[in-house]
Amino acid sequence: MSYYRGICNFCGTGCGHLLRVEGNRVRGVYPLSGHPLSHGRLCVRGWHIHELLQTEDRITQPLIKDGGHFRQVSYGEALNFVTERIRGIPGHEVAFLGSPRSSNEENYLLGKFARGVIKTNNLSLSSDAGQEESARVLLEGCGWPAMTGTLAELRQADFILVVGGDLTKQNPIIASEIHHAHRAGSFLATISPRKTQMARLSQLHLRPRPGTIFCLLQGLARILTDENKIDADYLSRFTANSQSFLKELKQVEIDQVVEATGIEKEQIVSLAKRLAESDSACAFYPTGVQSLDSRTIAALFNLFLLAGKIGRRGSGLNPVTGISNLLGSYDMGLSPVFLPGYAPSGDEREWEKLENFWQTKLDRWPGKNVDACLSEGESIKALFVVDHDEEIIRHVNRIKQLDLIVYFGAYGNPFASLAHIIFPRTSYAEGDGTYTNSERRVQLVKKKIDPPADVRPLWETLTSMARALGHDWNYRSTEDIMDEISQLVPYYSGLTYEKLTTRLGLKWPCDDLHPEGTDCLLAEEAGHSFQFIQADQPGERLAFDQEIEKDFPFKLVVGRSNYFWHQNSVMKRTFIPKREYNALLLLYPKGFVEISEEDASRLGIREKQPVRVVAESAEVRLAARISRDILPGMLYIPYFIDEMIPEFLHRQVADLEKNEEFFLPVRLEKAV
Amino acid sequence: MYWLKKEQLELLVKKLAEEYKIFGPRHDRVSDEVIFDHLTDLSELDLQAAIPYNPPKFILFPHFEEILKYRYEPETKEVRIEQINLLEPKALIGLRSCDLTGLLCLDRFFLGQEYVDEFYLAHRKKLFIISNTCIRPFPQCFCVCTDSGPAAKDGFDLDLTFTGRDYLVEAGSKKGQVLIDELGLAEAGPEASALKKKIIDNSVSSFDSFALENKAWISRATNRLTTGFIKPEVWEYIGNQCFECGACSFVCPTCSCFNIEDANLESSETDRLRTWDSCSFEGYTKMAGDNNPRKPVEDRRNKRFFCKLSYSQSKKYLRPGCVGCGRCARVCPGDIGLPNVVTYIRREITGESGE
Repeated sequence: MSYYRGICNFCGTGCGHLLRVEGNRVRGVYPLSGHPLSHGRLCVRGWHIHELLQTEDRITQPLIKDGGHFRQVSYGEALNFVTERIRGIPGHEVAFLGSPRSSNEENYLLGKFARGVIKTNNLSLSSDAGQEESARVLLEGCGWPAMTGTLAELRQADFILVVGGDLTKQNPIIASEIHHAHRAGSFLATISPRKTQMARLSQLHLRPRPGTIFCLLQGLARILTDENKIDADYLSRFTANSQSFLKELKQVEIDQVVEATGIEKEQIVSLAKRLAESDSACAFYPTGVQSLDSRTIAALFNLFLLAGKIGRRGSGLNPVTGISNLLGSYDMGLSPVFLPGYAPSGDEREWEKLENFWQTKLDRWPGKNVDACLSEGESIKALFVVDHDEEIIRHVNRIKQLDLIVYFGAYGNPFASLAHIIFPRTSYAEGDGTYTNSERRVQLVKKKIDPPADVRPLWETLTSMARALGHDWNYRSTEDIMDEISQLVPYYSGLTYEKLTTRLGLKWPCDDLHPEGTDCLLAEEAGHSFQFIQADQPGERLAFDQEIEKDFPFKLVVGRSNYFWHQNSVMKRTFIPKREYNALLLLYPKGFVEISEEDASRLGIREKQPVRVVAESAEVRLAARISRDILPGMLYIPYFIDEMIPEFLHRQVADLEKNEEFFLPVRLEKAV
Repeated sequence: MYWLKKEQLELLVKKLAEEYKIFGPRHDRVSDEVIFDHLTDLSELDLQAAIPYNPPKFILFPHFEEILKYRYEPETKEVRIEQINLLEPKALIGLRSCDLTGLLCLDRFFLGQEYVDEFYLAHRKKLFIISNTCIRPFPQCFCVCTDSGPAAKDGFDLDLTFTGRDYLVEAGSKKGQVLIDELGLAEAGPEASALKKKIIDNSVSSFDSFALENKAWISRATNRLTTGFIKPEVWEYIGNQCFECGACSFVCPTCSCFNIEDANLESSETDRLRTWDSCSFEGYTKMAGDNNPRKPVEDRRNKRFFCKLSYSQSKKYLRPGCVGCGRCARVCPGDIGLPNVVTYIRREITGESGE
């Protein structure tokens, strides 16, 4: 046998693949036709995952920095180093930065190590605010923090709405499922300022001005009531607060929506009617970079709830995660606001439960995410980081001041080079572990090749470290860890390695009631009413700051692309995708900004002409790239860091990557 | 022709395993996928399994392969080149005729008159090929339209046809005949040819139930592609649906495009690598100075189908570049596998409406 079954580790789709192994090296990849989601498809990234696994740039031994250079040390010496250094630092001065590519087992253990051993509540992934906001909105609205629908029934959906992002680039195979559904007869609509490929394939593409998707969604809800298209029976049976929501909705004026979004009323009406008249309807939105903000997610949820499309077969709200185990990382509680299983960190009873289960005392103070820890003064002294490359861009100076940086990683990168101590870890082909995709599908990946001699899996290093710090951890395998997870996380209570070995994943909730997992949220089975999400300030941000617009008439947004995906730190270890990346890099070595054909001709700007993008506090010189895909009045910079995102954006990136609705007011000038 | 009893099959495989690394279809129960794979456990060989999802191309033309190593010595300014021995006897058992045809197309490309690819040749040299007649077509198949099945015509050492209980065996080479003699297979009587023909005819006629569209139009599409009469809008329509993943090329039994990369190792050696490549990638045709003769997606798509079906390309393969295995249709995220493209071309010719 040379082809081994596995799951692609790039995006949150979790496609099935076969890795071809020869002589302990991964030599190729092939799609898995029987996979229930990907059905034998892979995207350009997935087709080159074996190239990534060839890299020689591995960390193969524990390393301690000594006088500016790393020296190889034994695990014993490395563990001593950490235990000695960490003892003097109180828990609240320590932060943990996890990786959304790590398995559930590794992330669970990292969280347990942070909270239970180091006694810190500062733990998070990187800047993935979108996932947290999506989980919070959905929990409040319907009690499920993830996809309420299922991709398995997508081809039967009448109506599919894609909001924001660029799904064909971020999660190509989910986009392909939508495309197939569309070709099988589903009505497909896209809401996005950019003309994405998904928009091109849609029957209806609404292009609201940047920052107005929220407004448009409220407008759609208002039309539903105006046209009397709401399902009163559904609302009274399954929702708790429809009356107050409907009252609130009256404040939304369609004329204002039309003015703010730049979309004609007829188009809004036509989309609203389509939604209301469909038997089943799904909405997709990305989380992670280019996600929606919580207000917009709430508006989308409310719209679908008003149309009676939450908790029904073939319907639902489907957030799509950008990175392989982003959802699983949240399931495991790698967040300051959620304990494992989404138990709210503000709930004392949940802490007591966790203390009993972990048999250790826990501190209750509210934790912060790592970005906040690094931005706010000098609140932390030590940072534990798992395979990470991004946070450094914004906070490099702050990171350099830390007393202790412990880095766990498979590959060398700029972040690792700042560390005081580095622990090697296995790559995802070198160990067992489960990963949870966007669809809540928990999939087991088995070890395919042996790691280099002195490389241990993260869970093993964490276990030794916990023991060195006086905690009696006894995990012998990832299966032991999953057994523990299934006792703590209700959604995972029915999951075992035995089950997962003979199945291509199970969708949580997997419990006594649903031993074979659960396809989708059903209103009848939910056991509680759904809630409309109350907006904090209805109508807010409808009007733009006229003064700023006068001086900075363009709205600058950032986004993703196929090859530059995930900061490019992953893609640059491949060959073919790297070639595609470099081809563009050669053409625009200093980066580019996309401008619409209309604006370019109005301002007399030619392709590749140097331009200055001027914001209130900074400016940058870039080459112009004329595009048919963006709206007049909009500028677009693809989000790939280091080589192309200039200093100018580094300062703004924390805001820019928060969500799709964010834009930076700028003006454009020809550079001389 | 000879008879191979079902129980003799094991013997035949064992015999070959003494000399060759064995490759063949195996069925993965959990995923229900049929994989053409290196078989370390010979009992996994499943000749009744459906057409494998992967073509055997990777055996001769791997997805990713080191073709040589070199080391530059800065002091002496010398380059030491280390050849890698790729020669390894391999037996491919149970090849479907489409895949065998694909292999013959690869031969035409890599072992041409002007240029012989020594790495491909090394893999190809000591090969034992056993083809397996498709006694029924699979849903994605259209080999009858591309003249590549359901039974192999040449290129095999042995050819098997399952008759319901045993296999009819035909030798296609001296090597094959020697093996037949060694195993002492019983000669089949004069009725064997008629039996085999009947099995093949039966298989061909069962294509009618699902392959009507393709069957009637591949030759017309070839004509249109060759003469260049397909409207740009048709290609634009196809291009809009392309996800640029490269899958159609990677799964195609005849696609032979590759990329060469030199990867510097920590040992200061360099690996020269050959990897699969695809004309669907923008970087594939990009030249210095941002000149790209095939910049828009549709121009790249257009090129691929030209390569698979046009007459000028067929002259190189001595047959169409498509072998009718239907894999490109199954792996395509944009649903623009070759059969669909033929459908779009047909719609353009007949003026039928889409959707």
